[in-house]
This record gives sequence, C-alpha cells and structure tokens, in this order.
Amino acid sequence: MKLTRFESQEIKETMDQLVIDSGAMSALLITKEGFNLQEAGNTGFLNTTALAALIAGMFTATKEVARMVGEAQFSILLQQGENRHIHISLIDESNMMVIIFEDYQKIGRVRLESRRSCARIQELMTDRKEEANASPSDSPKFKEYALNLIDRIFDK
Amino acid sequence: MPYINYQNREITFKVVYYGPGMSGKTTNLLYIHSALSPDLKGELITLNTDEDRTLFFDFFPLHLGNIDGFNVKFNMYTVPGQVYYEASRKLILDGADGVVFVADSQPFRLEENIESYRLMEDNLRHYGYSTTQFPLVLQYNKRDCVNPLPVGILEEQLGTADIAVFEAQAMNGIGVLETIKELSRTIVMRFQL
Repeated sequence: MKLTRFESQEIKETMDQLVIDSGAMSALLITKEGFNLQEAGNTGFLNTTALAALIAGMFTATKEVARMVGEAQFSILLQQGENRHIHISLIDESNMMVIIFEDYQKIGRVRLESRRSCARIQELMTDRKEEANASPSDSPKFKEYALNLIDRIFDK
Repeated sequence: MPYINYQNREITFKVVYYGPGMSGKTTNLLYIHSALSPDLKGELITLNTDEDRTLFFDFFPLHLGNIDGFNVKFNMYTVPGQVYYEASRKLILDGADGVVFVADSQPFRLEENIESYRLMEDNLRHYGYSTTQFPLVLQYNKRDCVNPLPVGILEEQLGTADIAVFEAQAMNGIGVLETIKELSRTIVMRFQL
C-alpha cells in the first residue's frame, strides 16, 4: 500500500473540507489492516494509531455479522455516545472514513459530506501512481540502518 | 507488504503473534512493551475477557526510529487463541508482514499447537502468502514446564524444517527479545522498496 505525496495532499485537502462542511471534530482515513493513512481536523486528543487498529478490527467483525444475516457487508457504522459520536463508512474494499463529531443533530450533514468525500477519495486512490523518487533513496542502506536499529533495541 | 506513507514519511510493518490459547502470546507482547524505553513505544491496548483471555487482540506500535528520512514503525498484534475466535484471528493476519508462532511446550498441548499452526497456514494462504516464503519464527514457550515437548517435534510434524526456532519462558522474559529480533530482521531483509 503506497500513497504518493501528491495524492496524499489531495486526499488531505478533501478531508479538511469534509471536516469544515460537516462541522465534525476530526476525520481519519484508515485501511482495513488498521493503518492510519490520513487525518484532518482536531486529532490531538486521539491515539490515532490505536484507534485505527481497533476500528479496522471492529469493521471486519461487523462484516462477519453482515454475512451471517445475509448481507455482503454493512457500508456504514454509527456509534452514538452521549457527547461524541463516530460515523464510519466504507470507501472501497480496503479503506474506510472515520468521522468524529459532537452535535448529533448534524448526522444528516455528516452522512452527506462523508458520501461526497468518499467518492472523491475513491477516485484519487483508484488513479494513484507511485512516486518513485519519494521512496527511501537506497534499499541496501535502508536495510543496514534498520538492522542496526533492531540490534540496538533488542540486544539487552 | 508494509504500508508506506510518503507525505508523512512513514513506513509501517505489521507483526502478529499467533498460537493456541494460553500459549503466552500476550505475555510476549507485555514483556517486549515493558522492556522498551518509553520513546520507542506507544500505548499498549489489551482487550481481555474476565479470564485473562484475549478477546479481540492486543496491540502496540514500536517506533524503530528514523531511517533515511522515514519514520519506521512495527505495529505489534496478538490474536485470540481460542478456537471460537477464528474470525478474529483471520482478520488480524490480513496485511501481516511477519508472524511469531508461540507454541505451548506442555506435552499435552502438542495437538493444539499443530492444529493452530495448520489454521494459521490456511489463513495466510487465504491472503495469498506462501508460508515457505513468509517471515515466520517458531517459539517454544513455557520451557520451564514439566517434561517440555522436545524442540524439533513440531517442525517434524509440520514439515517446516527451515523455520527459525527459539526457546522461551515469556513469563520471565527469557527468549522473548531474541524471538522478535529474529523476526524483525527477517522482515527487514525481505523488504523490497
């Protein structure tokens, strides 16, 4: 899974707009493997790495539930809390959009803007190309540095 | 295949601890987490039942460091070992870059070890991995038990002669870091940009 710098920037801008238009607190783009690809809005209060891992697990578990009741999958998950709520929607087979918002009255807005930006992001991701010159410059050197770090961390 | 984010300049590998129920997967993870300095690790998330069994998974990110301008991370997961959590195990293996198989050395658990390993192979194949090419380390845990299984018996029965093998007592931290070091090295060695 690779995102180029250019496309990541376009996705970031789409997500920034999503947060503004929906009145949400924050938005995260995560993969079904639990990686956090991009975030927008206020995410300072969140452990986004752990959140991505947990939501990915939750979504896949829900997919299994969907299968049991005769659905291929549920495309939207909504978690309603007292003050904060989470709207999760599938972008494609591999990615999902997580929106955290406070005013439940805005659920319609959140749903609308989510659908709109997910469609845009899907276009951007389908069309992506790898930006070779942005990759680590030298694979053997990268490996050598990484192996040195591994030895240093685990040789106790 | 690791996830590479060029904008944030991050490379993230996924490591999974797999094995039968109560073999010591979470204990391995807890020991690694406790042994690392605070700047190298994120929060440890554990989702356990009342009987200390992993319900969904345990997880923490290990920050390897900055290499060539890229922040390199290992996301460390365990799977629930109990037979009835097969769906959870399968989903956690999705996107894995390497697996530590934690076997229980108690002699009466031989069959469970073999069954769990076979399920892991099936799950890896489901995601298109070849188990002979995939970074995989076998850990014989609980070596301090009475009459532990002889090292080699699992490899023989599973037909996995080439697999890297470590003996461990995860409760005491013995063999834990050696195991993860070997797997991390193998993952990095096989990493292709």
